[in-house]
Amino acid sequence: MLADWPSLLFNALGWGMATFLVAAGLTLIFGILHVLNFSHGGVFMLGAYVAFTLTRWSGTGGLASFLGASLLAALATGVVGLAVDRAVFRRLAAVDGAYVLVATYALLLVCNGVAKLVWGLNVFSAAPPESLMTVTVAGDVVMPHYALFVIGAGLSVYLGLEWLLNRTAAGRMIQAIAADPWMARLLGIDVGLVYTGTVVLGFALAGLAGGLLVANQSLSPDLAGIFIIQAFGVVIVGGMGSIRGAFLASLLLGLVDSFGSALLPSMPGILFFVALALVLLVRPQGLLGSGRLA
Amino acid sequence: MTRPVPAFALTLAALVALALALPFLVNRGLVFLAGLVAINAVLGLSFNLLFSTAGLLSFGQAAFSAAGAYAAALLLLRLPEVPFLAALAASALAGAGLAVAIGLVALRRTEGVYFAVLTLAFSELVHVVLAKTSLFGRNDGLTGIPRPRLSYGLGSVDLAVGDRYYVLVILVTAATAAALWWVTRSRLGRAFRAIRLDAMRAAYLGIDVRRRRLQAFAIAGAATGLAGALAAPLTSIVSPDLAHWGESTKPILFTLLGGAGVFWGPAVGAVVYAAVEYATRSLAGASDLITGALLLAVVLAVPGGILGSALRLARRGRARPAPRAAPAPAPAGGAP
Repeated sequence: MLADWPSLLFNALGWGMATFLVAAGLTLIFGILHVLNFSHGGVFMLGAYVAFTLTRWSGTGGLASFLGASLLAALATGVVGLAVDRAVFRRLAAVDGAYVLVATYALLLVCNGVAKLVWGLNVFSAAPPESLMTVTVAGDVVMPHYALFVIGAGLSVYLGLEWLLNRTAAGRMIQAIAADPWMARLLGIDVGLVYTGTVVLGFALAGLAGGLLVANQSLSPDLAGIFIIQAFGVVIVGGMGSIRGAFLASLLLGLVDSFGSALLPSMPGILFFVALALVLLVRPQGLLGSGRLA
Repeated sequence: MTRPVPAFALTLAALVALALALPFLVNRGLVFLAGLVAINAVLGLSFNLLFSTAGLLSFGQAAFSAAGAYAAALLLLRLPEVPFLAALAASALAGAGLAVAIGLVALRRTEGVYFAVLTLAFSELVHVVLAKTSLFGRNDGLTGIPRPRLSYGLGSVDLAVGDRYYVLVILVTAATAAALWWVTRSRLGRAFRAIRLDAMRAAYLGIDVRRRRLQAFAIAGAATGLAGALAAPLTSIVSPDLAHWGESTKPILFTLLGGAGVFWGPAVGAVVYAAVEYATRSLAGASDLITGALLLAVVLAVPGGILGSALRLARRGRARPAPRAAPAPAPAGGAP
C-alpha cells in the first residue's frame, strides 16, 4: 500500500503547504499577542470570497488576474484586521484567556454571518487559472501544476516571513515584543503600533491564503471551519507562535495525514488528531516552542 | 424566601409550569422548538458547571451529546424492549464514560488554550469515528428513531401521541437541572470552585485536583449525554454532525450570553439564542451576525451576560440585596 510513497510524499507536501499558508497568520498573531484567533478561518473564507468575486468580474482566467485578486483579497482582509484590532483586540488585554478565545469565536460568527448575507448559502466552485490546469508526470507521481503553485506559494510566504522577522529592523522589534513586551516598551518601542501591524499582517495573510487556495475548494460558508482545525494543530504542534515551528509542523502533519490516509483508508484524517494529542501530551510547548517567534 | 433552596425550587417550579402550559398556548412547531430549547438548556447548564464552577473551558462537548444521542438511538432501534428510562440512564453513562476516557488525557493539560484545543481535537476524532463506522450508520447516521413507550406494572404510556414526549423532555430537563444545582451547592461543588480559584492552594488543602476535575468533566459529560439522548427521539435522527465542533460551541454561546457564573444563565442564553434564530429564520446569516455581536458585547462590555447584568441592576436598584441572586455560585464574570 505504501509502494506509492512518492505520490504520498507529494500529497503530504501539498497538504502541508496549503495548511501552512492558512496557519502563518494565525501563528504570527498567536506568537505576539498570545491570542489563539478562532476567527482566522472566517477571515480566510472572506478572502476566498473576495478573490472569487474579483476573478469573476475580471473575466479572464489568467495567472496574473488570479494573483492580483489574491493580493487584493489580502489588502481587504488587512483593512478588516485594522478595524478588528481597534474595536476588539485592543480591549482584550485585560480579559481572561478563556473569554479571549470566546471573543475570537464571536468574530468567527460575525464573519460567517457576513459571508451568508453577502454571498448567500450557495456553493460556488472556482477553477485554477488556465495555465495551472495542466499536470506534470514524473515517474508514477502525477503533479497538478496548481498543487505545485500552492507548494511554491507556501514556501514563498515562509521565506518572506523568515526574512521579515530575522533580517529587518521591524522584525527584530516584533521579536523583542514577543519575548518581553514590558521591556520592549521601556526601550521605547511603540508596542501598540507593532501589535496593530501584527494583526493587520496576520489578517492579510489569512486573506491571501483564502485567495490562493480558493480553487479546488467548494466555496461556501462552511469553508471557515475546514482549514481552521488543521491550522490550530499546526500552531500548537509547531510551538506557540514559532513560524519555523509551524512550517515544520505543517510538513510533519502533512506526512501524518497523507500516510495515515493510506494506512487507514477507512478512517481518513484520524491519525492527525492522534498525532496532535500525542504531541500536546509529550511536548506541550510544541516542536520548537521556547517562547521565541522565529 | 431568602434561603437558596426554596428560591431555586420556586424558580424551577415556575419554569416547569410555564413550559408545561406552552402546548395550550402556542402551535406545535413552537412546542417542538421549546423542547429543543429545554435540551439546549441542559447542554448549557452542564457546560456552566464545567466552566464557571470547575474553571474548565471545553470546546468538545459535542462528543458527549453525540455519544448520548447515538446510545439512545441504538437502544431504541435495536433493543426496543429496554425501558426508555433505562436507555436514558445508559446514554448518560455513555457520556460520562467518554468524558472519563477523554478527560484522562486532556486534563493533563488544563492550562491556557491546551485544554480547549485538546477537547476540540478529541471531539473531532469522535466525529470521524461516527462518520466512518457502519454500526453508527456512517455519514447518514441513524434515522427513523421512534418515540418510545413508557411501561410500568399497571399500564403504559405511548409517548408518540401528541405532546407527551415534550412533557417527558421537560420533566427530565427539570430533574437534570435540579441534580446539577445540587452538585454545584454540594461539598463537591465547593471543591470545584476552590480548584478554579487557585488550583495550587486547593492541592495544598488536600484536594485531589486532577481527580476532582475528572469528576466535574464526567458529571458534565453525563448530563450532556442525557441531553443528546433526549434529542434523538424528538428529531428522530442522529447524524455525525452532532459531534461537529460547531455543536460544541453552542453550550459556550448559551452560557456566556445568558451569564456565566449564574446558575440559570445558560437557560436564559438558550432561550435568547432560539429567539434570535427564530426571528431571523428567513434571513440567512443574520442569526450568526446577531449572536456574534451579542457575544462580543458580552465579552467586551457586559461580562455578566444577560442574567448576570439583570441581577446586578436589580441589586443596585434595591436598598437590600436581592434574595434571588443568592444561588449564584460565583461573582459575575466567572473567571478570576
